Amino acid sequence: MHPQLELLLELQDMHAQRQALRDEPLRKVEEEVFDLRPVEALELLDAKIEELTERLDPTVQRRYVDLSETLDRAVAPVLNGICYGCFVATPTAWSSEAGRNDRITVCAHCGRFLYYVD
Amino acid sequence: MQLRDFFTLEAINLDLAAETKDEALKELVGLLGLDEKSRGILFKMLKRRENLGSTGIGRRIAIPHCRSLVVNRLRVAFGRKISGIDFDAIDKKSVQHIFLIVAPPLEVSNQYLPVLGRIAQFGKEPDVPERLTQIETPEEFIALLEDKGV
Ligand SMILES: [Zn+2]
Repeated sequence: MHPQLELLLELQDMHAQRQALRDEPLRKVEEEVFDLRPVEALELLDAKIEELTERLDPTVQRRYVDLSETLDRAVAPVLNGICYGCFVATPTAWSSEAGRNDRITVCAHCGRFLYYVD
Repeated sequence: MQLRDFFTLEAINLDLAAETKDEALKELVGLLGLDEKSRGILFKMLKRRENLGSTGIGRRIAIPHCRSLVVNRLRVAFGRKISGIDFDAIDKKSVQHIFLIVAPPLEVSNQYLPVLGRIAQFGKEPDVPERLTQIETPEEFIALLEDKGV
């Protein structure tokens, strides 16, 4: 896997975690079952997100920041050839190729970074 | 929806080799049959969640959980270590029973929250920790879930 793609995946997963701490039902579970303090947890997460963002290469970082500002998520999984960011089919030549996660690819339709899931 | 529908026998290990929290997380992730890169990313995410606060909910039970792009559907696993693993649990006791839950960020059926809730509810049943120590096979684990109606 491309190291920058790995970073992007981590970042996206951390955004999902961040979202989980903001969504009412899940946050309640985190507080009540796991005794988590959401405000402090969010601060820790944000610091980590910032740190990881700075490790992105300049061009990747620019696109990532732009996408994060305009779309709900900057990285989309591809399942069965469909980009799950915009739900449009990606060219099959890419999605069937081995080592397809070894480079940075973006969706031709929505521009999100793509991660191919089996 | 029933918990037993999410557990496969291969994802139940009643005798973890792990001695530490990190080893336990890795071993549980290993039960999901993902490729090496995905396992690494998932382990990191679970660690990050643990860094925000332990998922050891007390009564010798832990429920590490996160969302991650590396899975394409909700996945669960169960691991047991009778001698206990230090998990920084809220009641400071070592953990014997570990339920792993991982879900993709985009879930059509939205099962993450209900599954998390049900496992937490299951863990709170007064006799569950004791019964979890007594089961001898993965099949008995599934039977316990069914018996508890979760
Ligand atoms: Zn797209």
